Amino acid sequence: MSRLRYFVRRTFITAFLIFLVASALFLFFRLMPGDYTALLTQQGMQPDQIARLEAKWGLNEPMHIQYVSYVTNLLTADAGQSFRHGAPVWDLVKPRIINSFILVAPAITATYIIGGTLGAVIGKYRGGLFEKSSIISVSVFHSIPDFFLGILLIAAFSETAGIFPTSGMLSTRTSILMQGEPFYAKFFLKEFWMHYALPFATITLYFMQYPALIMRNSVVEVSDQEFLHYHRLKGLPQSKLLQKLIRHASLPVITLYPISLATSISGLVLIEVVFNWPGIGRLLVDSVLARDFPVIQFVFLVAAVWVILGNFVVDLLYGVIDPRVSVEGDGE
Amino acid sequence: MSVTNAFKNFKESDYGIVLLNTLRKLLQERITKFAFVCLVIILVLGTIGPAIAPYQYNVQHREDGQLLRYAEPSLDHPLGTNDRGEDVLSRLLYGARTTVITGLLAGSLMLSIGLFVGVTAGYVGGRTESFLMRFVDFIYGIPFIPFAIVLITFFGAGFYTTIAIIGLVLWRFIARVIRSQVLQIKQRPYIMAAQAAGASTPWIIRKHILPNIANMAALFFAMGVGLAILEQAGLSFIGVTDPFNPTWGIMLRNAHQSGRVVEAWWWSFPPGIMISLTVLSLYLLGRGYEGTSGDDEVVV
Repeated sequence: MSRLRYFVRRTFITAFLIFLVASALFLFFRLMPGDYTALLTQQGMQPDQIARLEAKWGLNEPMHIQYVSYVTNLLTADAGQSFRHGAPVWDLVKPRIINSFILVAPAITATYIIGGTLGAVIGKYRGGLFEKSSIISVSVFHSIPDFFLGILLIAAFSETAGIFPTSGMLSTRTSILMQGEPFYAKFFLKEFWMHYALPFATITLYFMQYPALIMRNSVVEVSDQEFLHYHRLKGLPQSKLLQKLIRHASLPVITLYPISLATSISGLVLIEVVFNWPGIGRLLVDSVLARDFPVIQFVFLVAAVWVILGNFVVDLLYGVIDPRVSVEGDGE
Repeated sequence: MSVTNAFKNFKESDYGIVLLNTLRKLLQERITKFAFVCLVIILVLGTIGPAIAPYQYNVQHREDGQLLRYAEPSLDHPLGTNDRGEDVLSRLLYGARTTVITGLLAGSLMLSIGLFVGVTAGYVGGRTESFLMRFVDFIYGIPFIPFAIVLITFFGAGFYTTIAIIGLVLWRFIARVIRSQVLQIKQRPYIMAAQAAGASTPWIIRKHILPNIANMAALFFAMGVGLAILEQAGLSFIGVTDPFNPTWGIMLRNAHQSGRVVEAWWWSFPPGIMISLTVLSLYLLGRGYEGTSGDDEVVV
């Protein structure tokens, strides 16, 4: 019962936060110096188009009515028209969200699997040259800015060795051919995976530090705990012992995984810019340089929702993974 | 009071003793020694860099009336020239100054806000604490780079605007850790004794809490400076900061956009290596501190 209440409470808080961010964005973009309609005209819109937009968004109405129409439009996934492309913002952003997600979700997952394994091995064989060198190397990869790491990989594997293409998601020819196909059609092309390899590797190398170091510390800590001594004295075989150790030690890493997935959106912007990957980060940067406000506003909302939802999932998972976390009495 | 006197007084104060002890412990490890030397060099370059730079950073060099583009390293131009015929070494040295300013200013801002929020939340407790920590949670929810991009589109791409945005958002991790540290210290007997003797809260914080977290604060200052430098480089690379300010991030951006990362290696690699080296040194110092404080923590 209390778990259900916790869930409902969290859902409400999450919905409220998203609403708050959307409202803040509205305020920000309307209080901006300069008239919103004047901005539209500057971008070369026809008077009748402007009149239609004004009617739809209630731009001639007082602020609070504008706000209501903004919220109702958002609820129907209508975020207005892009200044630059003239297309509805939602149509522009939707494929970009998918592109970002298919890059970042597998990459962060791989980071956690590889990094966690590495951390466990470091924690098991402590105190040697291996420990020192692996800790230093993961720290080095995290100190190189992610965009410079990307540049280095491009320089080494694309421009010098010529194995992978330098940027983009598909070659121009293929992307024209693929128009109208569903988004998963490109997964069957070798070309897509060649484009995919370098950004994937960049993310994996850059974010390796967290899971590796945390897993290492956790393994070291759990190794000293009494229940493991007990199992050892009981005569449990090595493999079973290891299994128990890993199960307990991986808790902090598992809880960190969704958080990393949520916050990676920030680093993703830079990686998408380096590799010219057509995701939302790239779209945000392009829109900022072109001062395409409706798109900026909506992409930021998407990024914020991404983080908020990620934290929501983390909060729910905490209770399920770690029974020591009690959900009862939360804030009461 | 003269400078030597002030220095002597600082050395004998609580903070001075704590900081000097930490530094002494830190410098026992070879790798932290290396990091420390790197940082000192970068700090010196940031201070005197523009004075020892062979040219102005924005002078376009010409040879026989032709713009000297992509010149290879030579005695005249030790790190060659870039796409506009500017001397790369000079730009690198000027960039050291902007990097040092960014790091120190944004780092101090992060440390002050983080310390204030963390100590208040940890020591005062109760409603204040839960309110402050909820606020920290909220700040944690901000996706930094997109947020900074949006703010910069509003407030313009000034050098100090960027620093302010970095400092005003990224203090969050400092506040969290300082708070948990203060919570531990608060339980110690001497604090209770001071409270029982009727000491005021500000006095306890100044006399007992702050000296005890001074080394930790110094560590987070180092980490914060590293983070600030990374984020500033990232924002410069995206192209939303002041393009006329020669930062290392801007140099990387120009090199990447020209598509000559490999051919003009003298232009593209040095700024990236400098950023990486600076940030790595700062992180290594932080990790090294963790090593001196606990026996089982990560020691590099």
